[in-house]
Amino acid sequence: MDIYQIRDVDHYYGDKQVLSIEDLSIPEGSITGLAGPNGSGKSTLLKLMAFLERPTYGAILFNDKKVAPFSKEVRSRVTLLNQEPYLMHRSVFENVAYGLKVRKKSTRLINRVEQALNLVGLTEPDFARRKWYQLSGGEAQRVALAARLALRPRVLLLDEPTASVDMESAGLIRDASLQARRKWGTTLVVATHDWQWLYETCDTGLHLLHGRIFKGGLGCAVSGPWRFGEGDMLLKELEGDQVLVVPKPDEGKNVAVLDPAKLKVVMPGDDPQLNTDNRMLNGFVTRLFLERNGKTVQVAIKVAELLVTLRMASSKAEEFKLYPAAAVRIIYDPREIEWF
Amino acid sequence: MEFIQEGFSQAYALLISRDPATYSAVIATLRASGLAMAASLLLGIPFGYVLGYFNFPLKKQIRIIVDTLLSLPTVFIGLVIYALLTRNGPFGGSGLLFTITGIAIGQAVLSLPIIISLTATAVEAADHNLRTTLMSLGANRRQIAASTLWEVRLGIIAAAVTATGRVLTEVGISLMVGGNIKWHTRTITTAIALETNKGEFGMGIALGLVLLLIALAVNVSLAGLRRRI
Repeated sequence: MDIYQIRDVDHYYGDKQVLSIEDLSIPEGSITGLAGPNGSGKSTLLKLMAFLERPTYGAILFNDKKVAPFSKEVRSRVTLLNQEPYLMHRSVFENVAYGLKVRKKSTRLINRVEQALNLVGLTEPDFARRKWYQLSGGEAQRVALAARLALRPRVLLLDEPTASVDMESAGLIRDASLQARRKWGTTLVVATHDWQWLYETCDTGLHLLHGRIFKGGLGCAVSGPWRFGEGDMLLKELEGDQVLVVPKPDEGKNVAVLDPAKLKVVMPGDDPQLNTDNRMLNGFVTRLFLERNGKTVQVAIKVAELLVTLRMASSKAEEFKLYPAAAVRIIYDPREIEWF
Repeated sequence: MEFIQEGFSQAYALLISRDPATYSAVIATLRASGLAMAASLLLGIPFGYVLGYFNFPLKKQIRIIVDTLLSLPTVFIGLVIYALLTRNGPFGGSGLLFTITGIAIGQAVLSLPIIISLTATAVEAADHNLRTTLMSLGANRRQIAASTLWEVRLGIIAAAVTATGRVLTEVGISLMVGGNIKWHTRTITTAIALETNKGEFGMGIALGLVLLLIALAVNVSLAGLRRRI
């Protein structure tokens, strides 16, 4: 069953459209990763999903019901952890207990707070008595997560939860979030740049650019400067004398996106007969990541200053004998490059 | 310079000997200031919160007016309150002229813009993630308002400290609205003005030191409160 159904949502800040989602469903109990550059709409989408704001147009259904901010269906059941969490100017205990107190769930308060702090690895005696200013950045992030976990939420939305913490804290935050799913069936939606979250932990990875979702992934988003090429084409000059050829954009669009499903990887020496429209880029593998299904591999290929990410069957990666630093070629058709 | 030294010894003597006239002025000062602060905090904190938290038409204009009122001269407030409370004034029948309550009304007018302005500034300066966090933790609108106010409590204490200092040390309102009536409306500041006119500088300095001691006691109490919360 889908816990979220997002239909024809357009969201504006003033005159600027920041989000445009035609159709997105999030299954209950799943882990969904949101990737995309800064300003792509990840945080806005999470805020809308947390029902902190209403979408300007369209509807977000929660459990098949249209709900609004502050409605009882979502209060304390859906909770968001910001990238820079705010700790109230109180003790750790008061911070973690806040959500329970406002819901008047005061029974076994001490136990619930202790359990939540244990989940995030803050087990030191008397830790709960510390003041908000006595915590490191990683501890503050974990206390903020504990405050959400104490609620035993149905949906936990995490906005770059590990972006500004050390590796140990990042691991503890990840483990605590996964435990929430195991223990209470919590649905997780995580905005992250962390590959481990995206491809190893998440059931689904969604890529956002300019407020739009690319369900099949975002091969590479390329911005200018551009120069005019032959005919109606534009050229992006890359390092190492390589050139990316793209069609002319419609007005108002400024980012060219390479669809990973339309890219072909070949090994140097295995060059196929290129038809007249196809172009080729030389690069090398920087990262290989086996996805949770065990059948596909995420491959990151560095082409000059661009990083192209695509999915490949693991058998194909094995056939190509791909390894980090292996030289590869990417074949693309410029007419298939879209602008956003 | 002798009168300064004399002032210190007289201040000590006045307090130790529990001089009735001095104690009467201290009590009048505390009563007027206490009433004025209670009224201005009760009115000013909610108004300041609304001004800092919500967006509404004319908000900027209201803010400019409140900030301008920070510069109100005490003698002008005294004059206006006197005009309102005098027998021929619109509230002449209230009998508040030359009373502690009358002085407190004037002092509340003096401190209200300070409380409103500094509370609004504290609320505006609150972290932009606060509301998101409180909503995320399940707080309703009323709980968000109460928690936001609690989060900016140090700013509100600072507003109270500033306003208390202004109210305790003003002389224009106390003199014009209170009339400086011995045993009745004579406050420490009006007593200082009187003693200075009489050429009793030592006594004036002694009373000034007593006033400073009161201010010290108020600030020590507020600092203690700030540490505890």
